[in-house]
Amino acid sequence: MKRRDFMRDIALGGLALSAVRPSAFSFPAADKTPDLAWIEGESPAALTRAAVDALGGMKSFVGRGDVVCVKPNIGWDRTPEMAACTNPEVVKTLVEMCFEAGAKEVVVTDHSTNQAARTFLRSGIQAAAKQAGAKVLLPSSFRMKKMGLGGEWFKEWEVFLDVHEADKIINVPVAKHHSLTRVTLGMKNWLGAIGGARNQLHQKIHEAVVDLARFFNPPLTVLDAWRVLVRNGPQGGRPSDTEMRKTVVAGRDWLAVEAAGATLFGLKPGDLPFLVLAAERKLGRVDWEKMSIEKRKI
Amino acid sequence: MKKEKSRKYRLLQALRILSQWSFFGLFLFFFTRTRFTGEDVIGPVERFFHFDPFLGLTATIAGRAFFAAFAWAGVTVLLTLVLGRVVCGWVCPLGGLHQFFSFLFKKAKLHRPKTASAGPLKWKYYILIFVLTGSLLGLNLAGILDPLSFLYRSFAAAVFPALGHAATGVIKLLYALGLSGPAGTVGQYFESLTINPVYVQGFFLGLLFLAAALLNLVRERFWCRVLCPAGALLGLLSPANVFKLKIDRNKCIDCGLCNLQCPTQASPYPDEEWRRAECVYCFTCAAVCPTAAVGFPARDVPRREKRVSLDRRKIIWTPIAALAALPFFRIAPAVRRAAASLIRPPGARPEPEFLSTCVKCGECLKVCPTGGLQPVLAEAGPEGLWTPRLVPRIGYCEYYCSLCTQVCPTGAIKELSVEEKLTVKIGTAWVDKNRCLPYALGEPCIVCEEHCPTSPKAIQLVEHAALLPDGTVSAQKAPVVDVSTCIGCGICENKCPVMDRPAIFVTSVGEHRSETNRLLLDI
Repeated sequence: MKRRDFMRDIALGGLALSAVRPSAFSFPAADKTPDLAWIEGESPAALTRAAVDALGGMKSFVGRGDVVCVKPNIGWDRTPEMAACTNPEVVKTLVEMCFEAGAKEVVVTDHSTNQAARTFLRSGIQAAAKQAGAKVLLPSSFRMKKMGLGGEWFKEWEVFLDVHEADKIINVPVAKHHSLTRVTLGMKNWLGAIGGARNQLHQKIHEAVVDLARFFNPPLTVLDAWRVLVRNGPQGGRPSDTEMRKTVVAGRDWLAVEAAGATLFGLKPGDLPFLVLAAERKLGRVDWEKMSIEKRKI
Repeated sequence: MKKEKSRKYRLLQALRILSQWSFFGLFLFFFTRTRFTGEDVIGPVERFFHFDPFLGLTATIAGRAFFAAFAWAGVTVLLTLVLGRVVCGWVCPLGGLHQFFSFLFKKAKLHRPKTASAGPLKWKYYILIFVLTGSLLGLNLAGILDPLSFLYRSFAAAVFPALGHAATGVIKLLYALGLSGPAGTVGQYFESLTINPVYVQGFFLGLLFLAAALLNLVRERFWCRVLCPAGALLGLLSPANVFKLKIDRNKCIDCGLCNLQCPTQASPYPDEEWRRAECVYCFTCAAVCPTAAVGFPARDVPRREKRVSLDRRKIIWTPIAALAALPFFRIAPAVRRAAASLIRPPGARPEPEFLSTCVKCGECLKVCPTGGLQPVLAEAGPEGLWTPRLVPRIGYCEYYCSLCTQVCPTGAIKELSVEEKLTVKIGTAWVDKNRCLPYALGEPCIVCEEHCPTSPKAIQLVEHAALLPDGTVSAQKAPVVDVSTCIGCGICENKCPVMDRPAIFVTSVGEHRSETNRLLLDI
């Protein structure tokens, strides 16, 4: 992407946001679509489906002929019962829903930390996503391209093109403990959508994740809290490091989903500097409890 | 007299070439399958090595133990006893490659076969005697010139990495040309092959391979004629075989073409001077004979065997030279104290046993998913040349992977299940507080802790107050290693954001396999 195109897209995106956001936030009752869906239940697939349906269905996010990138966390060589990666059933359900909504192609990928061939396989995500018809792409150095991020602090970095080039991006993080940021949810999941020396970003982690979240700015975030990693994050290693929460949280406002997800760990937005920073920049709302929420058990 | 080449032997020659390509293809197939393909158990991708009696013999003698898989070498021995050195001529992938290079050089008129002195043919027997004498004393030098080890090592650490770089160039070019569709497909396939493009000594090992290939300019199949100790061993096993060269005196026109074209200098003409131990049954002589005078009938009148004449004095002197050389291999400091950087793969036997059985084949280097296993130069002494060690800055030991333990053809690395491997400590991580970001600079980091794969983590965080140059204090979470749970996998060192010399690093101390490289008494 050329810089000029990029600036144009940013400008258009900004316009689009300013056009959409007020209606989404100010008049939630008008179309009766809630801002957030907090669904609890007994099957990851059913939870996912119910959460997206509560927000108006996948058709309100994905158009006919779209290339969609579903971006889970496939960072670690851990099996699903360790809850270090997104639940494969959640990913699979989203892929199915994208195709039902008319998507032309659904890409599932992540720039993983352990060997990608292992993480993709052992997380169960590769098989699940392929079964639903997705194109599962191993991260490759050919697909990392340095570009402007337009961030307050984060100006330029290698971006993973397979994520960036999609028409629509759906963020599907898993809720986990993390010893630096305390929790890793949707915003930190974007570290899997970039290349370069990511390990150095910890020095400015709060600024980095806020700018990255603003850059990727997904229209839909689906937080997997089916099984939550509560200690030894972000990869755990024993099922005893996890707790069953049997929850999926979804929303249009990624910051609101993030703030809601933090409560799974007993944290308030004020406890997490990256939430405070994002709220200061008015990138979304952290007072999610004041939004219209569809919270139910199925 | 009718001038016509033998159709039968031309067909046999074609079959032999087909067989050589097939076995080379099989070798390549096993080679490329030597990677994580989705299963924890990899299967017998290292089987080629087990058919090599030279490796089996030296590993058994030097290691003082018979590794059961080498029973397969009995097939080669039996085949050689009955048919002669057909394995050299029809099966050996390195022999096939050398023959192919010779063919290319002849076609390109870079090499013209000429009558050569038989002298150098003996060298390989001396090499064999030297290596076997070393084995008797527990010194395993087989891997340096064993054809399979040489080929595999060269491919793993030089040829494939170079091809990987070439492929990267091609894929980048495809993207640059706007062909993102094909580029993506090729790119994904390329990623799935997990070719490690970085090897210590890669360039050097590549040069050695190139040199071996270029030797075919000097003599056809120079390696097989002069250097190959495995071929020498098979040569010694061949005198009782069934098929013997016979020249039909009525047809022979004494042209000498068979002698000139023989790729291993077995000297078919006259047939009573045929060196049966040198013949690899490639049937070149029979196929090039303009009058179809050369044949290999299944019987022959008993006659005096023409062999490469091994000088009796040299036969005695070779083991003596080997005995004299042995102490020199033991001068290295590695004998007394383990090198800090000699982090052996999980499952590696205690160092003396490891050195006596490792044949430097490069299977473990090839299979390592992170490319962390690298050929040793001097860290393990002269015996340890090209044995594997983990270089965490290049690649770490993947937690749930035990592939290197499964592919070792000699059991120098004991086969471990993934569950068994998780408990094996190969070294210990140390924090360099003078370089660690939280300790030295008061900057937040915790990257090593985040990546530590054990649960509970072997890297724990403590609050540390760093004094900054302006006199202020910055308190950050800083890593402390729990040596009782650290397994030395090296992912912390690999991921440490201090780019050049890492602020956390692994040394071999505390490795389970060693009784002497101990850290704490109760560990």
